[in-house]
Amino acid sequence: MNDSSARDAAFRRRFLLATGAWAVLVAAVLVAVPLMFESRLPDPLATHWGPSGEPNGSMPFAVFALAALLWVLVAGVVLGAAAAGRVAMRRAARRWTTAPLGWTGALLIGLQATTVAANLDRRRWEDAASLGWQAVVVIVAAFAVGGLGWLAGRPGPDERPVAAGSAPEALVLNQGERPVWVSAAASPVGAGVALVALAAAASLGVCAFLGLPPELWIGAAVFAIAGLAGLWLTSIRVKVSPEAFTVSYGPLRWPSRSVPIGSLDRAWTEERHPADVGGWGYRGLPGRNTIMIRGGECLVVRYTSGGELGISVDDATRGAALINALVSEKH
Amino acid sequence: MLLKLDLNDPRPLHEQVADAIRRAVVQGDVAPGDRLPPARDLADALGVNANTVLRSLRDLRDEGLLEFRRGRGVSVLRRPDPREALRSLARDLLDEAGRYGYGPHDVIELIKEMS
Repeated sequence: MNDSSARDAAFRRRFLLATGAWAVLVAAVLVAVPLMFESRLPDPLATHWGPSGEPNGSMPFAVFALAALLWVLVAGVVLGAAAAGRVAMRRAARRWTTAPLGWTGALLIGLQATTVAANLDRRRWEDAASLGWQAVVVIVAAFAVGGLGWLAGRPGPDERPVAAGSAPEALVLNQGERPVWVSAAASPVGAGVALVALAAAASLGVCAFLGLPPELWIGAAVFAIAGLAGLWLTSIRVKVSPEAFTVSYGPLRWPSRSVPIGSLDRAWTEERHPADVGGWGYRGLPGRNTIMIRGGECLVVRYTSGGELGISVDDATRGAALINALVSEKH
Repeated sequence: MLLKLDLNDPRPLHEQVADAIRRAVVQGDVAPGDRLPPARDLADALGVNANTVLRSLRDLRDEGLLEFRRGRGVSVLRRPDPREALRSLARDLLDEAGRYGYGPHDVIELIKEMS
């Protein structure tokens, strides 16, 4: 084992230990606080407040004390994924571990603390104090801790997938020739999900039409919008011509974005997966955007201004080779 | 799919487009069974009319290179046999040579001189 891999292993251990310690700390607080105040709380206790700020829902104490289980479940899944994969070695993946852990932990502790405080020394849950600004504080605090988690994920190695930055050889272009490259990527699973959403929208619409509760219209609208948006983002078309590099979305090729070849620095291919970039669709990380339709080979272009854009698209090697040839011709 | 159009080629555009697609198929850019990008995307990229591309695609289908399927677009049926393509060109060349009174041996000599 050489130096850097020993250092990486040590970092990975430290990262897992630190996130594990946070998970245990939050779990301990979530278990200890209700037990500490059990004798001073009503049973059942108020756990839900209406828009007016008055309590309107309750829960037996035993169920309330199980909030820790919810945390154990969330933290277990997130940490399990971090321990199994190479999450600790990639900055983006690390941040997608630490930020949700921070946010969820802070939110659960905050909700628990305000609930306990509002119920403290009351005889019936209906007497619980009203809540208003406290909810805002809890939400803001949760986002603040989530933000700290995001920052905490920054230090450390940022491993790039193998072969990153290996540009294919530029094509040889002949004078008096117009070379163009056209390719596409589609996600059959995404399209399937979108179609299911549209089918759900149609069924809900029919139910509402036949006299079932009119609230179903809202569900139908939500499903319809989700389905259409999904359909839009499950296919993409990329074009490289001597003038520009163009990315178009959806079956109508709209919206479409063109970047003049002169604004490109170089292109290469890279393996990128939804787990690396934070999911499907347009994933923005500062200076490293990805249009993720499906995991696997991506065409990555670097702008002369410094930013990077990765696009999951078939036949990316040839596209990158053509871009590099056109770029070297321009400069 | 990478296509190259010769800007100085005097032949009709649809023949040039067909050549470009045929070349891509011969060079293995697209393999039998692969789907071609939709005609309107090819037309947009090449800067020609969509009808021109459709005409080229129909010509290539008539040659037996492409297959049109309802709902599935245009896909590559088989790779053209370069030997076969050259054979038909050679026959044309020999016919043309015969019109000037040249026999196959004269044509062979001519080719040797050129290469």
